[in-house]
Amino acid sequence: MRAFKRRRGMYAARLDTDERDVIAALVADVAELLGAGRLESRDPHAVAVGDGSPRMRIEPLPPPSDPAVRRLLPDASRDDPQVAEEFRRLTEDDLRAGKIARLTKLWGALTTPVEGWRADAFVVAPQDAQDHAAAITDLRLVLAERLGIRTDEQAERLYDTLLDSPQDDVAEVDEVLDPAARRYLVAVYGALSWLQESLVELLLHDLRAPGRPADQ
Amino acid sequence: MDDVPTQTLPDASVEQEEETAVADPWVTIVWNDPVNLMSYVTYVFESYFGHPRQKAERLMKQVHEQGRAVVSTGSLEAMEVDVQAMHGFGLWATLQRSGQ
Repeated sequence: MRAFKRRRGMYAARLDTDERDVIAALVADVAELLGAGRLESRDPHAVAVGDGSPRMRIEPLPPPSDPAVRRLLPDASRDDPQVAEEFRRLTEDDLRAGKIARLTKLWGALTTPVEGWRADAFVVAPQDAQDHAAAITDLRLVLAERLGIRTDEQAERLYDTLLDSPQDDVAEVDEVLDPAARRYLVAVYGALSWLQESLVELLLHDLRAPGRPADQ
Repeated sequence: MDDVPTQTLPDASVEQEEETAVADPWVTIVWNDPVNLMSYVTYVFESYFGHPRQKAERLMKQVHEQGRAVVSTGSLEAMEVDVQAMHGFGLWATLQRSGQ
């Protein structure tokens, strides 16, 4: 795996087949958690994430029961259940559809070779990079929830473990994941964090470049 | 947030920032989380709100160090749009009445 760099007007990273498969499978898992069905089994060009017409729910929508999904679609108020409920009723369908669309786009980019680039190139057009960065965030949020990362200190310990001794048992005591599964998720989380950091650096650099319309 | 030593101290400047917004009835608050990269949060504040780099970085640090920051103020409807956008980016945002 190599980080994103600017190449020929695009942002390009390198992922070998295994890395690509691992990330694409995770993308499909998270899309499925959000209610997308299985990405592998659909035509990526005919993704139905709603018919485009705004859906107006009348009845309240209960919060998702899976804590990982609830982190992707969080309560919009900490102390006012009515505000949270109303927000969920008005926005959750759109939020789900947007997240599924971005995950589907990322999945397509991971599974579709780009002509004129080496086989391990993961090539992202600058105008798609924000969507990919957001989708990678959703992947990391789900992994972190599964790994039980609740505090900054826990997240840091995770990186320390990765750097120091990738083969050692990274587990704090984990009641759900066996050590091998936990090690695997930690490695994927670390790789995605590093990949995302390099992508966001390019996005920030280009956002701040002089002469952009956003400057004026 | 990722990568930097944490401190979670209650801070008067949060309250101040909320008080200056009394003309706007609602605020959008972004909360710290252990997953989002500091660079990404800064990018979201710069690209979505159009904040200059300095302000985006100040708000990001406020979220990281104080646990939360007010990132926009306005009508309930406007704040719903901002909170929805933040959730789209994967940041945890809430809305509440200004001054609460």
